[in-house]
Amino acid sequence: MQCFDAPCTAACPTHIDVPKFISMIKSNNVIGAAEVVKTSNALANTCGKICPEEVFCQSVCTRGKQDSPIWIRELHFFATQYEKDNGFSATKVFPKSKKTVAVVGAGPAGLGCAFELAKLGHRVDVYDGRIPGGVPRNSIPSFRLAVRELESDTKFLSGFFKLKAQAVDKKGFEQIRTSHGATFLAVGLGQDRMLGIPGEKLKGVIPVLKFLEKAKANSTSMKIGKRVVVVGGGNVSLDAAATAKRLGAESVTLIYRRSEKEMRVWRSELEEARKQGVEIRFLVNPLSIVGKTNVEGIKCRRTRLSKRKDRSGRPIPVEVKGSNFVVEADSVVIAIGQTIEAEWLGSVERPKGGYVKVGKDFQTSVPGVFAGGDMIAGEGTIVQSVAHGKYAAHAIHEYLTAM
Amino acid sequence: MEYQSLREIEMYPVRDLSYDFLGIHFENPFILAAAPSTDNLDMVRRAFEMGWAGAILKTTSVEGTRVDLTYPMMSTFDHEGRKLFGMGNIDLISEHHIDTVEYNVRMLKKEFPEKMVAASIMAGRKEDWQSLVERLENAGADLIECSFSCPQGNIGEDPGKMLAQSVSATELTARWVRDAATKIPVSIKITPHVTDIVEIARAVKRSGCHALTASNSIQALMGIDIRSFAPYPSLGGKSTYSGMTGPAIKPITLRTIAEIARNVDIPILGTGGASTWSDAVEFMAVGAGVVEFCTVVMHYGFRVIDDLKSGMSHYLDEMKFSSPVAIVGKALPNIVMHDDLPRRTVRSHINEKLCIACDLCYVACRDGGHMAIDQQSSKVPYVDRERCVGCGLCQHVCPVDGCIEMRVAV
Repeated sequence: MQCFDAPCTAACPTHIDVPKFISMIKSNNVIGAAEVVKTSNALANTCGKICPEEVFCQSVCTRGKQDSPIWIRELHFFATQYEKDNGFSATKVFPKSKKTVAVVGAGPAGLGCAFELAKLGHRVDVYDGRIPGGVPRNSIPSFRLAVRELESDTKFLSGFFKLKAQAVDKKGFEQIRTSHGATFLAVGLGQDRMLGIPGEKLKGVIPVLKFLEKAKANSTSMKIGKRVVVVGGGNVSLDAAATAKRLGAESVTLIYRRSEKEMRVWRSELEEARKQGVEIRFLVNPLSIVGKTNVEGIKCRRTRLSKRKDRSGRPIPVEVKGSNFVVEADSVVIAIGQTIEAEWLGSVERPKGGYVKVGKDFQTSVPGVFAGGDMIAGEGTIVQSVAHGKYAAHAIHEYLTAM
Repeated sequence: MEYQSLREIEMYPVRDLSYDFLGIHFENPFILAAAPSTDNLDMVRRAFEMGWAGAILKTTSVEGTRVDLTYPMMSTFDHEGRKLFGMGNIDLISEHHIDTVEYNVRMLKKEFPEKMVAASIMAGRKEDWQSLVERLENAGADLIECSFSCPQGNIGEDPGKMLAQSVSATELTARWVRDAATKIPVSIKITPHVTDIVEIARAVKRSGCHALTASNSIQALMGIDIRSFAPYPSLGGKSTYSGMTGPAIKPITLRTIAEIARNVDIPILGTGGASTWSDAVEFMAVGAGVVEFCTVVMHYGFRVIDDLKSGMSHYLDEMKFSSPVAIVGKALPNIVMHDDLPRRTVRSHINEKLCIACDLCYVACRDGGHMAIDQQSSKVPYVDRERCVGCGLCQHVCPVDGCIEMRVAV
């Protein structure tokens, strides 16, 4: 197609020049195509594998108005994998500034920021107590993103900054902040939200991040029983349900208090979960988890949608009296969202204890401290986090240059 | 500040693609052919800013030359759903006055001293050819290209016929321009529509002109509306023959360049059907020193220069060539006459692992070859080695890359 001012490029949070890289694949300049992708998106292979194209580039493809959209993400992935397999292209020598920046968290936002800062010439220390990669490395199920795909990015990126294998606490944060010209926070949402209903302490109740991380790290030793119930309604709950099925659970039931229409999920993930045999029960609210020491089931009540809407614009579910029932279960996975795990953030402002507040330039309430990724926007996509990191790097560069 | 609209930071080194040709420094081998894309100062400026190494401004002539354009002038040859496999035009030379073209040369050389700025000219009488050369040379042009091959006929004594279709007229006219050019090289743009291209090339060589531009568009009838019987492009139901350019004519140009390069020692500017960096490599491999582009730019815009440069850079790296000059003429020793071809026994070989059992090779061989391929129900077709002569048809109809190859029989 080669549209001009292409809507796909505008729709991509990192603004990859899609017509350009596709024209390069067409001319058999596949390495050149990969270079175009990587110039805009530091996590090129990861995004090429699992970016929800249905909401970004492909959803607005001009060709879709004529027949069907171009498979942009597949072409992107083909190019970057080809480059990885043939040896990463040598990068140019970037300018050298005397400024240092600390990046806390080596997930998509942190890596995106660190690489862009390196391109701008700054020395970057990336702090993360775990293997770099964040959510894509630790909790996105292997069947959606294999570790090797993420590593084809982290391997390339690791040459551009110093990785400090340390988790950050209150003292450490102060020390890092004062010893660098600027700090970028990108630790994501590490704390599982719980339901606050009786029985959550029972053996067999697993918060979703712990569940997914354990499954990705070591799926063979995981014991989850035959019947698994997942409570939630977002993409992460679908990942958990599909993972449970793959771990060998005979029945997996996802319970969600609203209806399918209100689910905030990528349709491809919903289809995948259903294909795996996950049973989804809509309009069901959990009341308590039952059992003696181990989980035996989850007591629920039916709901109906009221006419009133909540802040998200979705109808508020109300319980239907006398409709209690119990779903038997050996494990219950709680997947109702995550919050920031960060007592160490100190005076960094978080309205109502929620996400970190930043300005247009990604700067927090503490001067010189910037933030991006899920910390500022809630659970989002990888590509959005990479974009936060990338554009925050330019704001940091401006901040450092003005100093 | 809008961080989202920032320009990307370049992260890959830019490979040097520059070299000298005809005593002119070229930033890279990619220049714009004389065409609508080079008829406007702002358009050429934009092309230069985007990385084109040079431009040949649209053909101009002397004052008073009638440029009787008529519209629409473009039509295309689309093939199996692909647009613009070939493009036809019934355009003529620039409508701009020679003063404007002269001014454009001056401005471009002032603003872009490192770029190659050439002018293309066409005339009839000796004094007209010579005054054009003088004026444009004085304006600062790096090169003059002379169109001896406009498919709509040349201005002059014998309209409808191209100058470069006559050996004697080519030599005579080329001498006029050669004599007028005192400082800069002159290239004669020729047509492949001749019985013997080598004769024409020799005539140019004898004239003393510095180079040849090979070659102009192919005269074509672009198509007929099968219900109204109006030919394309239809001007109220009437039309005429077009000059066809674009990917469809690439093999014709390749042969023209190769045949000149094999027989005449003269620098060649390659043009006619190149769209990609690999087309440029092919043009250079058969003897072109630089490559002119037109139709691909008219289709996709000046931005195609990004892939031309990137693709050429990666190609040179892969081949361990230090400069594009290393490509020039590389394929010429491999082009021989039919009598000199190796005579071996080859047979078709189908890779069973790659075969998708579409049976296209079977039907092509059955009805267009030697009935040497047998269909095996839902299995890979089988080559009868007794019947197969090794013609290679099956290999080219096969939709799977590398599935069928011709192997030397032992």
